[in-house]
Amino acid sequence: MSDNSSLRTPSQRIAWAATVVVSTLVFIFLMAPILAIMPLSFSSGSYLTYPLPGFSLRWYDDFISSPRWMNSLKNSMIIGIASTLLSMVLGTTAALGLAQWKSRFKPLVLAFVLSPVVVPGVITAVGLYFFFAPIGLTGSYLGLILAHTALATPFVVITVGATLQSFDTNLARAAASLGASPLQAFRRVILPLILPGLASGALFAFATSFDEVVIVLFMAGPEQRTLPREMFSGIRENISPTITAAAVILTTISVILLATLEALRRRNERLKGSGG
Amino acid sequence: MEAGTVMPAPALVRFSGIQKTYDGEHLVVKNLDLDIRKGEFITLLGPSGSGKTTTLMMLAGFEVPTHGEIYLSERPIKNVPPHRRDIGMVFQNYALFPHLTIAENIAFPLSVRKSSKAETQERVSAALRMIKMESLAHRRPGQLSGGQQQRVALARALVFNPQLVLMDEPLGALDKRLREQMQLEIKQLHETMGITIVYVTHDQSEALTMSDRIAVFNDGIVQQIDRPDALYEHPVNSFVAHFIGENNVLAGTVETVERDYCRVALAGGGTVAARAINVSGAGASTSLSVRPERVAIVPNGSSGEGPNRLPARVQNTIYLGDHALAVLDVADNAEFMVKLQPGAHHSLKPGESVFITFRPEDCLALDPV
Amino acid sequence: MTNALLTGANASTEVPLKRRLRRAERTRQAKALALVLPLLLFLLFTFAGPIAGMLWRSVEDWEVRQVLPQTVAALASWDGKDLPDEKAYAALASDILAARAAGTIAIAAKRLNYALNGFRTILTSTARNLKAVPEPGTAKETLGKINPAWRERATWTTIKDAGGPITGFYLLAALDLTRNADGAIVAAPPDQAIYRDIFLRTFLISLGVTVLCLILGFPVAYLLATLPPGKSNLLMIFVLLPFWTSLLVRTCAWIVLLQSKGVVNDSLLWLGFIDAPLRLIYNRFGVCVAMTHVLLPFMILPLYSSMKAISPAYMRAAASLGAPPLTAFLRIYLPQTLPGIGAGSLLVFILALGYYITPALVGGAADQMISYFIALYTTETANWGLASALGAVLLLATVLLALVYGKLVQGQQVTGGMKN
Repeated sequence: MSDNSSLRTPSQRIAWAATVVVSTLVFIFLMAPILAIMPLSFSSGSYLTYPLPGFSLRWYDDFISSPRWMNSLKNSMIIGIASTLLSMVLGTTAALGLAQWKSRFKPLVLAFVLSPVVVPGVITAVGLYFFFAPIGLTGSYLGLILAHTALATPFVVITVGATLQSFDTNLARAAASLGASPLQAFRRVILPLILPGLASGALFAFATSFDEVVIVLFMAGPEQRTLPREMFSGIRENISPTITAAAVILTTISVILLATLEALRRRNERLKGSGG
Repeated sequence: MEAGTVMPAPALVRFSGIQKTYDGEHLVVKNLDLDIRKGEFITLLGPSGSGKTTTLMMLAGFEVPTHGEIYLSERPIKNVPPHRRDIGMVFQNYALFPHLTIAENIAFPLSVRKSSKAETQERVSAALRMIKMESLAHRRPGQLSGGQQQRVALARALVFNPQLVLMDEPLGALDKRLREQMQLEIKQLHETMGITIVYVTHDQSEALTMSDRIAVFNDGIVQQIDRPDALYEHPVNSFVAHFIGENNVLAGTVETVERDYCRVALAGGGTVAARAINVSGAGASTSLSVRPERVAIVPNGSSGEGPNRLPARVQNTIYLGDHALAVLDVADNAEFMVKLQPGAHHSLKPGESVFITFRPEDCLALDPV
Repeated sequence: MTNALLTGANASTEVPLKRRLRRAERTRQAKALALVLPLLLFLLFTFAGPIAGMLWRSVEDWEVRQVLPQTVAALASWDGKDLPDEKAYAALASDILAARAAGTIAIAAKRLNYALNGFRTILTSTARNLKAVPEPGTAKETLGKINPAWRERATWTTIKDAGGPITGFYLLAALDLTRNADGAIVAAPPDQAIYRDIFLRTFLISLGVTVLCLILGFPVAYLLATLPPGKSNLLMIFVLLPFWTSLLVRTCAWIVLLQSKGVVNDSLLWLGFIDAPLRLIYNRFGVCVAMTHVLLPFMILPLYSSMKAISPAYMRAAASLGAPPLTAFLRIYLPQTLPGIGAGSLLVFILALGYYITPALVGGAADQMISYFIALYTTETANWGLASALGAVLLLATVLLALVYGKLVQGQQVTGGMKN
């Protein structure tokens, strides 16, 4: 079944053709929104309809010259980077601990650590809103960074945990037997090998924060509005083509993150190789 | 080549009263005393869980003995961390660093020792030449076959001229043909370079092929340390007799002991004369050990009274190319093997009654199993 | 004698050793736990604590207790059969005067109005018209004159029920239930009984989206799992790129696509399939399309990994044993994808249940899911008790489904299904 040559009977060919056709339609469905919105951001007209009256970069210009949009991009970056750093510290140490910890309570602790991913965003947001308001953490960067860190850390624990699990401890022993001090072994053998895992964790964390909007809706003051939050208002009020420019910028960032992640994955797979 | 077998060289490694336990209850290694001479190839042989790998790990510094001390060149090393022991090690799955090229892997021990660039380069290319892999220097481990990875691991463990090289079942992942080839290569390296090798395996034929001496481990105790031929010819107990080479076991009771020999009444009937190796005296139960190639089959009715002549029934015969085996029912042992010349198996019919005979010096009376 | 001595010596050296090893192991475990602890404490503060706080709010009843403390105390001994005695009236009058001075009447009025429509008017009018503390013995008469509602038992039952400190009122309301004047749990009046419909709507939309994702995702996962790695990796981009694209971008794009002058309508008009633009957005259709788009990768990825784990040898074996392709597919292939189907469907369903942004932006008023109402009661109307109670119900459903999901995925890992 690994390729088409093993398809023998006519009915099998028809089934395969149907699979290909349906899948193609689904791929179109999946890609359509992204493909449809991109050209609109380069439109010279102010309506979000096709055909485009002409090409222009006015909406990008609008985005860049708008303090509101630029401020939201800056906020997304600040909150994203800060919560990535914080979740990397918390998540990596926790993954290291969990890798060594043996207890019958481990599944319970793991479920707790991962639960922020599963609990609906509104519930977390409402809880945080009630909890943070009396201590002055709503309408502050700190509050948003803490909340986004809580959402992002599970991804770090999962990715870094998987990396640690697949790390062959014999490699560290081999380094020691070849004369490397613990510090040398860490710097030259362990770190290079777990770095892709750490980087993937960081990317997931950043993407989580960068895409988050529900908590921001509840907790951000006008000063802390992020890019998705600004888009939310934009869509609610009236969709101007500037939003499409913002969307393309957001998508570009996503593509860069995805490409980096894929490159890391490939590198890792290549290193694991076949014979090792 | 150093004649280590003629003049005992000074001990390079000495295990003295080593005990190891992980849980405080069960000893994985019980009172190990073992000297390893400079330049020798010693194999720690035993079934899994016998303590051989733990012993190796204690020597490498990855495990700490619970009691006792290990000396390397007469210096205690219990508190020396692995990276300062100057011991090369080849790991079970090679443990090549996947992010480094072959050349970088081999250069690793030199670069952590801050060797000069020129010297590093020279020694790495010499090592690559030695394993005939100059052309693959810039590949990564993942792109190599198992045998190639094995050679790189070997070169990496040797390139810094360690006092001692440890090998933990290094050939376990290879197929039979490649394994036999690598056995010869490792043996050759050992002879040309005059290095000391401590080798761990559970494969007795590998141990017999390669070693100067073999330490047979079982249940945390070294059962016997000796040259391969001595282990085969003069096992001190049933475990060693059974673990090294093919072996037939007959249970019996000692009737009389006379100097080096004894008479044993078999549990399945009949008496035989055997060498008394590990029996406490008359009346003790014993296990007799007879190698398949030391037994002759005598057709029924033929004349000649040997000292050890037992009736047997042919179960079947197995053709193995360079030789054949007859499986017989002898006394209480229904799987008694006798080695035959190829072709001789045609003359034996299943169900046929025959006699077997063997010399008393080829039959060892050992501890009961 | 020697033997006894030896074993004695052995025992005395081995027991401390055993204890030492155990202690070393415990230290190691403690160190490992110490590494996990910062995250646990952090999550306690930023996640578990807030959610526990929300759950507490769903049963907490503080307003009336704080604003009308004497009344609540006086009603504690009231059996609720007849009107309360003069003492309770006097306490109420005194409480109202104190609350008016403190400006807290509105807090209690809002809470009591949830339970009994019109209570706000009763309380504010009483507060406005009560000039001074009534003479001893005349409180009942005075209050009754200001507002005849004080002569009704239900008014007083409402105050007693809202006296706290905890209440089932919000949780009952979230399930369209209430307590009548006798304290029995009955159906809420029709104008307030809207939440069961909303839960049902949330459930149906989630179910519909899950089914759509399964129907669309299965062939794609099958294709990706069957194609050679080179091709499937390339096609995987079409799944992963939308997956990584911001939710807001995708929602925005659907509005652009589906609006009345959008790409879809324009194409259909141009092709002559329709004469007038269809209404494709701000309704259930738009919600389902946009949510399916967002959640489809969550279905495809687990399905893909469960299909990838099925060795082609099984299908070859089935064929060699005489099974026609369809039979082999139905009896050999499909059963092995069931764990993947279960995991993917549960994941999509769990995520769909909590959806807020997408329905809020592309749905109409009749398509809002439970999360929308939780948000609405939190930020707009500040009915935090009800918001919390609705949140508690949603959380319970999510946690139960997540437990099932956990069991499913765990079982799969044993058989080697989920290999990420």
